[in-house]
Amino acid sequence: MKVKLRYPHEAASKPILAELILKTGLLINILEAKLTPKGGEMVIDIATQGPALKSTLEYLRAAGLEVTELHSLVEVDRGLCISCGACISPCPSKAIGFDQSLDIEIDAKRCIGCGICVRACPRKAIQLI
Amino acid sequence: MSEERGKEELRSYEEINEKIRRGDAVVMTAEEFIDYVERRGLEKAAKEVDIVTTGTFGAMCSSGAFLNFGHSEPPIKMVKCWLNDVPVYKGLAAVDAYLGATAMSETKPFEYGGGHVIEDLVSGREVELRAESYGTDCYPRRSLETTITLDDLNQAYLYNPRNAYQRYNAATNSSDRILYTYMGTLRPRYGNVTFSGSGQLSPLYKDLNLETIGFGTRIFLGGGVGYVVGEGTQHKPQTGFATIAVKGDLTGMSAEYLKGAIFHNYGTTLYVGIGIPIPIINMRVAATAALKDEDIPVDILDYSVPSRDRPIVKRSNYAELKSGKVVIGDREVPSSPLSSIKVARKIAETLKRWIESREFLIQRPIELLPNYREFKPLKIKKREITVGDIMMPLKDLILAKAEDDIKKVAKMIVEKNIDHVPIVNEESVLIGIVTTWDLTRALAEDKKTLKEIMTRHVITAKESERVDEVAKRMAEYHISGLPVVDDVMRVKGLITSDDISRKLVGRRGL
Repeated sequence: MKVKLRYPHEAASKPILAELILKTGLLINILEAKLTPKGGEMVIDIATQGPALKSTLEYLRAAGLEVTELHSLVEVDRGLCISCGACISPCPSKAIGFDQSLDIEIDAKRCIGCGICVRACPRKAIQLI
Repeated sequence: MSEERGKEELRSYEEINEKIRRGDAVVMTAEEFIDYVERRGLEKAAKEVDIVTTGTFGAMCSSGAFLNFGHSEPPIKMVKCWLNDVPVYKGLAAVDAYLGATAMSETKPFEYGGGHVIEDLVSGREVELRAESYGTDCYPRRSLETTITLDDLNQAYLYNPRNAYQRYNAATNSSDRILYTYMGTLRPRYGNVTFSGSGQLSPLYKDLNLETIGFGTRIFLGGGVGYVVGEGTQHKPQTGFATIAVKGDLTGMSAEYLKGAIFHNYGTTLYVGIGIPIPIINMRVAATAALKDEDIPVDILDYSVPSRDRPIVKRSNYAELKSGKVVIGDREVPSSPLSSIKVARKIAETLKRWIESREFLIQRPIELLPNYREFKPLKIKKREITVGDIMMPLKDLILAKAEDDIKKVAKMIVEKNIDHVPIVNEESVLIGIVTTWDLTRALAEDKKTLKEIMTRHVITAKESERVDEVAKRMAEYHISGLPVVDDVMRVKGLITSDDISRKLVGRRGL
């Protein structure tokens, strides 16, 4: 599950993720991080689900972080999309492909929110959420 | 074959149109025809099928529209003119103009361009018109600002000098940086392959020998009816790169098949939908109309080579490219189209429906397109300054071996007052480089030989390269000097940003 963490000023200097990893042994992949002592944001991928995920998110909230579950990192405007495919092969995580009717399909599980597809789209139909 | 080109052996245009009027013409899309030939054989399919419909929907930069705005009161001889801040070509009569697809908005470049204006006009949206003039006795007005819609114009013709290439080359990128091209986003180190065209639906490939497509052919253009008005620019049919020029009334077209587009860092363009009916007039036409994706060759070129002659990385075909992965060397590389196969298919189906419902008759070309055309390059006749002209020659350089002692090299650097030392092997082939910065680092980290500190991935230049190209490369990689090498990487000299700034002072022509 991909999760966006917002660090308030007080939390920014604490090793929250490190503690979580040491405590639980969970595999956590940091996809994006913009963090200064003043606070910031991080997008992480936590390799777990179900009750374990729930308690992990509770742990992060208790540590003072604002936690948003990301079901999808990008959004396609179907009114603008012309199903050309220019976004497919540039995607480094192979998250984009054609569906049965040759429309663009983005696999939210694979997407890492890098934004390369946003630039690759000739119709500016893709946006990072 | 040239005398027979276009010969109506199986059926004539009149016979086909008579069948269309009666409502019993046999029409198939190119993909249906391929299936039918597989099941029934070419001969039988050619006897039964009257017309094969094709389609393509891709970025076509050589597109645009001739517009006539009508005369204002008092009238103006527009000298400069803009539509939604996109400059429109005004080297024509007072209120005639040509709006090109790649012209970019002066206020929103790389976001909005001529292609978008065409899409907006066809969508019925209002577009801002601004014009300037010097004023004449016959055209006193000097400026105007107003809004127009497609309905306000006297004429609005899509007139595209080059569309619908028979086939295209595909693109990849061997360099270590991402490239943004008219072939889309190309990730470094052969990260992906992009390709254009619709392959087995390609209008011009389905009539490979140009036996039926010519001046006057009636076609599906941008959702309306248009015509082929001759060969396209850069027409090169002998190698499968035939092109067409097309014309059609924007009124009657649909924004579904005319879409403004942006290629990041390249500019704006227009996606154009084209469908051409191929009458099966003889067996040769039937055979080319039945060609499949795997029969249509596509060369994958390396777009990191900044040359008009880009090296071919691999000979592929549309079947492999459409599969989503291409094998390059020992790697599977993801591939994806830039043209919409979905819309191409829809165009072929729409054209088929038009013919079946008697709305569209086919037209015998007044003249066939040339089937051979020389493809001339543009020669730069003025001498340009090259790397060889200003580089530091080999005799003035210090070359070192990887095993050399750092202290010895540092001493030479001080004596000769230089900053870059190329490292070569026994054959004088470049294998690395060290700079004075690397030596400072060596001192700080207590390293002994060059091998430990040299940069192995060296950015190089060639003697024949233009100096501005090399200056661009220096800025890109944040480096101040490049070894100059020959084709087998033997060091020939060195060029530094100092050479460029000092030796070019007082020179002209850069």
